[in-house]
Amino acid sequence: MNKLLTEFSDEELIKEYQDNNTPEAYDILVKRYKDPLMNFVYRFVGDRDICTDVVQDTMIKFYLNKDSYRSFAKFSTWIYTIAGNLAKNELKRRRRRIIFSINNSDDERSPQIEDKMFLAPDKAADGEIRNEIIQKALLKVKPVYREVVILRDIQDLSYEEISEITGLAIGTVKSRINRGRAQLQKLLKHIYKE
Amino acid sequence: MKKIYNEEENKFSKMLKDLKDLPKIKAPDNFEYNLLTRIQNKNFDTVEKSIPQFNWIKFLAPSAVVVSAIILFFIFLPSSQENNNQLLQQTKLQNNQSVTDNSQSAKNELNSQQSVSSNIKIQPNSSSLLGSNNQTVKPSTRSPLYDSRSIKLDDYISGANKNQSNTNRGNIVNNGEESSPYDSFVVSEKPDKKTLERYRAVVDSIKKAQLKADSLKKVQK
Repeated sequence: MNKLLTEFSDEELIKEYQDNNTPEAYDILVKRYKDPLMNFVYRFVGDRDICTDVVQDTMIKFYLNKDSYRSFAKFSTWIYTIAGNLAKNELKRRRRRIIFSINNSDDERSPQIEDKMFLAPDKAADGEIRNEIIQKALLKVKPVYREVVILRDIQDLSYEEISEITGLAIGTVKSRINRGRAQLQKLLKHIYKE
Repeated sequence: MKKIYNEEENKFSKMLKDLKDLPKIKAPDNFEYNLLTRIQNKNFDTVEKSIPQFNWIKFLAPSAVVVSAIILFFIFLPSSQENNNQLLQQTKLQNNQSVTDNSQSAKNELNSQQSVSSNIKIQPNSSSLLGSNNQTVKPSTRSPLYDSRSIKLDDYISGANKNQSNTNRGNIVNNGEESSPYDSFVVSEKPDKKTLERYRAVVDSIKKAQLKADSLKKVQK
């Protein structure tokens, strides 16, 4: 039975979980989506601990609201929608905390990518530093553009899937992706000079 | 349309390649264990719920109360000062009037010996309360200091003063005010009929004596 379940598609697994409340189906779905969601949320929020909490909450929401999933939608878009909403809420909450916090330092607010920009080009070419710079530049992109850029260019989702996740028209998704890319390119102009 | 987006993708090709090559973040090893523990313990408090959010209503409600209290304080403060001022004005008026009363009564005493005394105060409206020592406490708001200070005793006894108006009865300058709302704590005596008759007898005897004296003078002349 277990072997069979692992061969199930996402939609079949969620149906199994909805109909028979099979915990194995839930476990398999968690195993399948925990890493992609971690990657998505981390790129969006930029903090590993918060990202873990957000993904945990996503799985809890999935556990509690399994019946709110409708079979006509893809499971991946449904779970990405939950994770995206939680990540956006988390961002808003953090912004509020920074505004009302007395102890918020300037270091906390500015993403420090400017410092790294002045590194020598050979050093900037180093993979790890480059990745760090890209991540910090990504966090400077407006959240509405950042979300779609991550979903498209990092998570490799189709425009249709992104449209379903964000609830936007495909045209809007495409234009937002372009604007997001342009913003990111502008922020990373030191790396992509040509 | 597709071409435009493809061209755009070519424009960012290097960056897009780097984005795709970004290392994939993986969930921690204990992720599933923690998740199952939370589910078993029914610990469903999300991050959002655990941290109290800033609530504008909670912030504004007490501040609105404070602001409205301050506004009310400043609205009612001048009126209370006015009341105080009125009281002060009233006492000033009373002082002035008592001075004019005293001077007026002195003049009256000089002008006419017939008027007996202005110390006896008579209340035409007998709404006063009779005390044990024949003393009355006037409950009305009319001040005995302002109007009807002096009366003609004979007219009062004979009842001729009934037709007199208030303006004829007193010689007091009231500064344009007929009566004051402030009733001072003056204890006045009720005119005792016997006392009045005694005074009248005295006055009559004086009058008779004067007449006799006049007649004797005429006889001597």
